[in-house]
Amino acid sequence: MMTSSGTTRVVRVETGPPPNDHRGSWLPNGAMITKRFMELRRRRGLMIALAVVTIGLPSIFLIVRLLAHAFAPKSYGPAGGYDIFTSLVSGVLFIFGFIVAAALGCTAGSIDLQEGVFRHLVVTGRSRVATYFARIPAGLAIVVSFVAIGYGIVCLVCSFAAPTVLSYDGVNVPAGLSQRALDTWASSHAEEVICRFNFGFENGPPSASFSSVVQNVPCNNGQGRHIKIVGPPGSQGSSSQPTQAEIRSAAVTIANLDYSDYSKQFLSPSDSLMIRTGLWIELEAAVGFIVGLGLGSLTGQRTISVILMIVLEVILTPIFLRAHIPHMINLQRSVVGVATDHLGPSSIPIAGGGGQNDQANLISETRAWAAIVVAAWVVAWTALGAWRMVSRDT
Amino acid sequence: MNTMTRGNEHRAGDSEWAVETHGLTKRFGPNVAVNNVELRVPRGCAFGYLGPNGAGKTTLIRVLLGLTHANAGTMSLLGFDVPKHRDLALSRVGAIVDEPRFHSHLTGRQNLELFAAHREPAARERIGPALERVGMSHRANDKVSKYSMGMRQRLGVATCLLGDPELLILDEPMNGLDPAGMHDMRDMISALVAEGRTVMLSSHLLDEVERTCDAVAIVDQGRVIRQGSISELLSGAAVILQVECSDNEKANTVLGSGNLSVQVTSGPSGLDITLPAGAGRDLIAEVARVLMSNGVDLYRLQPTQTSLESWFLEVTSRLGEAQ
Repeated sequence: MMTSSGTTRVVRVETGPPPNDHRGSWLPNGAMITKRFMELRRRRGLMIALAVVTIGLPSIFLIVRLLAHAFAPKSYGPAGGYDIFTSLVSGVLFIFGFIVAAALGCTAGSIDLQEGVFRHLVVTGRSRVATYFARIPAGLAIVVSFVAIGYGIVCLVCSFAAPTVLSYDGVNVPAGLSQRALDTWASSHAEEVICRFNFGFENGPPSASFSSVVQNVPCNNGQGRHIKIVGPPGSQGSSSQPTQAEIRSAAVTIANLDYSDYSKQFLSPSDSLMIRTGLWIELEAAVGFIVGLGLGSLTGQRTISVILMIVLEVILTPIFLRAHIPHMINLQRSVVGVATDHLGPSSIPIAGGGGQNDQANLISETRAWAAIVVAAWVVAWTALGAWRMVSRDT
Repeated sequence: MNTMTRGNEHRAGDSEWAVETHGLTKRFGPNVAVNNVELRVPRGCAFGYLGPNGAGKTTLIRVLLGLTHANAGTMSLLGFDVPKHRDLALSRVGAIVDEPRFHSHLTGRQNLELFAAHREPAARERIGPALERVGMSHRANDKVSKYSMGMRQRLGVATCLLGDPELLILDEPMNGLDPAGMHDMRDMISALVAEGRTVMLSSHLLDEVERTCDAVAIVDQGRVIRQGSISELLSGAAVILQVECSDNEKANTVLGSGNLSVQVTSGPSGLDITLPAGAGRDLIAEVARVLMSNGVDLYRLQPTQTSLESWFLEVTSRLGEAQ
């Protein structure tokens, strides 16, 4: 029960503002950030959603692959590896990391308003801008941690459970060979190279004998490789049986031709790629959080803001990535999802950009322009969110 | 330079009024919620801002606290101009607006930690004492979602105490409280005033305000129509004499035909004689003399002061008639 007035307390009431009180400052203090972190972290449903998407999804995928490979190694390849890494990063962590980070941002930006707590924070006299800014490090600490844990698991599995042999066009090839070493290897596996490697010559085959060799190597149960080699008339070759030396020479030619593509194939992601990719998906998540925070503050509505962010990431960004709308290319490039896509490592397929064949048709954007777009979105949405928080009647 | 500025601001805070407004106006489109309000709340007292629902009480509080802007007028809290020195003014103000709201997924203590983080560092050390003072220590680690309305009100008061406030502004603090809770809240307000703090509370519960406050302002349709100490205000109200006598009819005739400007009505246990506002004891003695000299025997003659409630109804109905 409350203390009765019957026993009058002798209390010296402090008068005047507290000493060293920078309440009007735009900068939040450490306590505001840590307590906001605590407030967000204790939202159990949101934290579970974050964990499921950033840690659960890739973990379950990798566990299933690990088990499948353990029980049926001939049917199922290794759980990790370079290809799995790039798929998980661009297909799961990048897109869903953005969405859950945006959901957290929308929550952080609107929940004080929705729960009626904002006015109680305002009447402390603390700057509304500082109250807004306190949410940025607090929310980022959560988002970055979750994404880092999920990404760390992906990196670990993809590095340590990577295949030991590279499968290039269905042929097991030693990984990491130099061009000379690949030539040597091709020479000793000439028929496999000729029959299985993909190749093509824009200006026709190097010689008439090359075409003849390729078409007369006994692939497909002795039928020969049925490929069409585009070239000038008379370059189609004859049907005479090639010698071993000619076959090896043709294999080396094909290996040389494919080396540039082969050199991009790895058993596992390199350290530098993992670091660059990690920074990239953290950037994407951070941008998602900050834009979501601004939008949540602007609308004051969590659900609507989250829906808008999902629409932006899942519908609008892929459309703007692929469609080449006349006179609107620069507008398309100004969409934050398009810009962050172009800031990623070049060896990672662009998320939302479709399959391998679609990647070449996506709109182009320089890294400098992409960086400017991302910075502009972050600054603009932070300014909008802070402005709305300052101007809002509560 | 900063020291000078700071010093000047301190001096600016030395005012005899805890709250002072001049011509304060707040409009919502065509509706005037706060209409040219002139308000002066003395320091060190419990002050009631009294009015019916929709009179603009909460809006005035929101304007004072900077939750919404005023369309016209000036105001100061603890001598600091608001909104110019809002941060300085609010550093020693604790307030509950509408009703105390908290993050329901956090415990009471965690909510206070969040609010304390927005105040000065010393506020964090006041969390325990504040919880103890409002009797919430034993439930401080429960989630707020499990709290009753009364417990939330107490936690709201604890939130106000975090800043060691010179001025507390409580919007309808008795809302949702049971009789025991209202009694406790009254005691709490009295104790806060006894410590030298100023408590300004808004309410439509006249009885509670009369019991709790030293001074009031009556507000209706956004305008302050009276303000002052309760005793001063009521001294301007009519006094009713309850009379039991041998002949009610004769008494009525005698008093009606005399020079006394009184109003006589029949009550359940005799006559109710309404004396004009400001009437003193002399008039009461004159009434007794007239009745006795005309052969009416008096069995009981009891002056009763108008309650704040009846006075409030009287004032607001007069206002309504005038409009």
